[in-house]
Amino acid sequence: MASTPQASQVLPSTTKPAELEYGGDEISALVLDPGTNTTRCGFAGEDTPKTCVPTYYGIIPDPETPKYFGSLKIGENAVNSVIDGMEIRNPMNEGIVENWEVTTDIWRHCIEYKLSSRVEEHPLLITEPIWNPLKNRERTTEVVFEDFGVPAYFLVKSAVCESFANSKPSSLVIDVGHAYTSVTPVVDGIPLRKGSERTPLAGQHLTTQLRHQFTEMGIRMTPWLMLKAKTTYTDLTNMPALRSRDYGFQPHASFIEYQQDRFIHEFKESLSETWPEPRTFPTDINNVGDNFRPFADKSYEFPDGYQRRFGIDRCLAPESLFNPSLSPKPFTGDTPKGIAEMIKDSVDHLDADIRANMLNNIVVVGATSLLYRFNERLSQELTTMFPGPRVKLQSSGQTPERKYSAWLGGSILASCGAFHQLWISKQEYDEIGANIIERRAK
Amino acid sequence: MSGAVTDVRDVLGIDATTLEPRQPPLKKQRTVEKRPDGITRELYALLGENAPPVAVVEHRFKDKPKFTGPVASWREQKFRNPARGDTLELRHWVRQNPGQQQQQQQQHQQQQQQQQQPPSATLEDGTDAPPPAEQPQLDYQFAKFNIKMSILQYSDAEYDAVLRDDDWTRAETDYLFKLIQDYDLRWVVIADRYDFPNGKDRSMEDMKARYYSVCRNVMEMRTPVTMMSADESALYHAMHYNKEQEVERKRIVQMQLYRTPAEIEHEQHLIAELRRIHDSHQQLLEEREELFNRLDYPQSTGSIAAYQGSSGLATLAQNILNNDKNKKRKSIAAPSGQPEKDDAKPVATAGSPTAPSRAGSIVEPARGGHGHQRTESTASAAGPTPKDKNKSNVRQLSKAEEAMYNVTHHDKLQPGVFFRTMKMNLPKANSFMSKSPAVMAELGIALNLTMPTAKTCAKYEQLAKEIAALMELRKQVEKVDQETRVFKAQEGMADARGKRSASVLSDVSRSSKRPKKEK
Repeated sequence: MASTPQASQVLPSTTKPAELEYGGDEISALVLDPGTNTTRCGFAGEDTPKTCVPTYYGIIPDPETPKYFGSLKIGENAVNSVIDGMEIRNPMNEGIVENWEVTTDIWRHCIEYKLSSRVEEHPLLITEPIWNPLKNRERTTEVVFEDFGVPAYFLVKSAVCESFANSKPSSLVIDVGHAYTSVTPVVDGIPLRKGSERTPLAGQHLTTQLRHQFTEMGIRMTPWLMLKAKTTYTDLTNMPALRSRDYGFQPHASFIEYQQDRFIHEFKESLSETWPEPRTFPTDINNVGDNFRPFADKSYEFPDGYQRRFGIDRCLAPESLFNPSLSPKPFTGDTPKGIAEMIKDSVDHLDADIRANMLNNIVVVGATSLLYRFNERLSQELTTMFPGPRVKLQSSGQTPERKYSAWLGGSILASCGAFHQLWISKQEYDEIGANIIERRAK
Repeated sequence: MSGAVTDVRDVLGIDATTLEPRQPPLKKQRTVEKRPDGITRELYALLGENAPPVAVVEHRFKDKPKFTGPVASWREQKFRNPARGDTLELRHWVRQNPGQQQQQQQQHQQQQQQQQQPPSATLEDGTDAPPPAEQPQLDYQFAKFNIKMSILQYSDAEYDAVLRDDDWTRAETDYLFKLIQDYDLRWVVIADRYDFPNGKDRSMEDMKARYYSVCRNVMEMRTPVTMMSADESALYHAMHYNKEQEVERKRIVQMQLYRTPAEIEHEQHLIAELRRIHDSHQQLLEEREELFNRLDYPQSTGSIAAYQGSSGLATLAQNILNNDKNKKRKSIAAPSGQPEKDDAKPVATAGSPTAPSRAGSIVEPARGGHGHQRTESTASAAGPTPKDKNKSNVRQLSKAEEAMYNVTHHDKLQPGVFFRTMKMNLPKANSFMSKSPAVMAELGIALNLTMPTAKTCAKYEQLAKEIAALMELRKQVEKVDQETRVFKAQEGMADARGKRSASVLSDVSRSSKRPKKEK
């Protein structure tokens, strides 16, 4: 009964895979990508983060409590629970961590509660924005070694990760995120400081603009959680009575606002659209010329049941990303430059020799770049600005890859065999102190 | 199963187990073979035992993979990376060697025999792992990627001797070299991170110029240029850095990047124009070559020794004669396919053998279209076959007689009425059509014939041909004139350029001398 088994395509379990066949070597590292809106966390080597926790946290203020001055509610469920007196706050400011006590807790929540991992067992890779000041980087180092007690740790610029996630060692990374839109030139995996720019024209800006637009329209913006049932209507002058849910107390204004952001976010995802061409958007959308081409209407139902058809006004907020002077809500300070102008500024700062290469390798990431036709518009803007060199945008078609590309790049980096010599170990930290980050991760 | 069957299966590479589950459906098919109702026995017999034309696809799950060998064992192992300066120990999963694996399998089997609980046994296999797992693995496969560039180092003495520069302090030079070491000569990054406290603003060109001059000076000091090995010498010369040229190059690159769309369009237009000129130049060269070929007399290739004797000359004459004969036969044989021409030709050639051209055969009476009509009708009325028979009866007319009787011979005429001028055989070239009126006017000849008789038409044709030849000649003369002018101009330019390049060379030599002075 001798029969030889067929050689299969899959590497049999009895043979060893060729060494260095792929450059990976899993050391079960964790990757943490903190952002203003969400904090992404997962295991290195995977293609999407295991968990995505809101960076917003709830706090019931109580001056007696040490450290936090209130009891913290962290995590998606806690933040979206209706609790008497709970305020919603964000530990980040201008894209960098401001409240370290809470941030540490959120990170710990991600790793220990969501991933069920012991933080002191895994090397930890954290991403940071390019404008992260030295003080913050040192603080991160302290938190990671003192509070978490990780065996090894490293801090990478998120732009570098995003570039790697799009398989490019050199590229011009445009990250259209929640709090900031940043543009960072990356050369051989090293971000350049002089060409880096950022602007607050990003997801949060869109939310603010849409909120303003809805308020101006006179729409009742009651969030889902505050309603028992909805009554469908289309006439704003003749609103039916609100059938609201009674919790026995009035939730905090910041909580209501956070909940409103949820349906505004939905509106952004489903209706908002970028005007495809530069410089053709009407300056006054209520008074467009007769020869202006028609724009398809889409209807949206607000949580209280109000249904409305949105025409060209659903392009207004995204248009303000490129043309901030058209923002429905005026800026409090100086009007920032549009995204395309900012990219031009960045490119002008670059060395003449690498400009053409950078323009040919533009990587667009970030969840706000998922706006319909955003890339098309950006591409047109850049082509008009740089008619000579070839402008080529690269952007993944997969939504998770676009949203979590910084995490994904970190995951690739932390599972790379050649990267393991870069980890900052506990021993090195003990010898040199928090300043080691400046020496090792420049 | 018999041995032969298994052998065949082995040869075909069929796994015995894969066939096992297929047997039940085979049996089913046999039962189906019973003749169904409604088909006669004879018809059913015709169907035979052929398999149905559609392949039977069984819907079933993929076979379970059959792993024959022992289960591979992986162990989480500590390792140290020699590329690191510290003793950090990370953990990764390592596959055990086959030798170890076998040992483990034996252990594994023993354990299985002991307790018959595979899951816990495998667990114990991991946890019971022998002590070597606790000892970190000391070599690391990825450590070899830790490559650092070797950047030139200079000593204090060397610095004092040759590296002093008014623009650069020692501290700033050290800082520059540290950055270069840190970023492995990535100039873009170095220029980006360059931030020397209280230092000047340095451009990338400043840094490069300083670095290369330091390298060159140190190299020269350590080994004089004449003593250098080939590699060293090549490196030494590669280190030469012309800052002004680089700055200028960058400026041009920048200009190139910020062209306006109009400029780009203009540039593309110019490129297209250049290509066109290039192509037409090619064409001109070809035409000229053709002309030269035409003007050249045929070159004799063979030696003439064979024809020097009288007998040789005789054979040559014979050869030429034969060639001529062959040619003549061919020219006669050619129109044999056209019977009407065939009978017209011998008559025409009989009278004037020196003018065999087709145009010459259209000899017509000087007077009126009536005669022409008549002759045509008689010619066409007489079919080819009776003519052949009556050939002996036809009287051969002499040339004078033909003129007297207005007898003419010509090619087949198209039916219907037409002007003789329409049938004139004029040169077809476009240039002739457009320019001939001017020439005609120059010669004082009316463009249209007032009396287009056969003779005048023939004369007119001859004239037109001559005019065409003249025009062609004049064109060629003009072309050659133009070319001589162009070449003369080129010669003049080449002289001028020669002078200028000489001056450029002297400039270059002057600028290459400059850095030496700086030292």
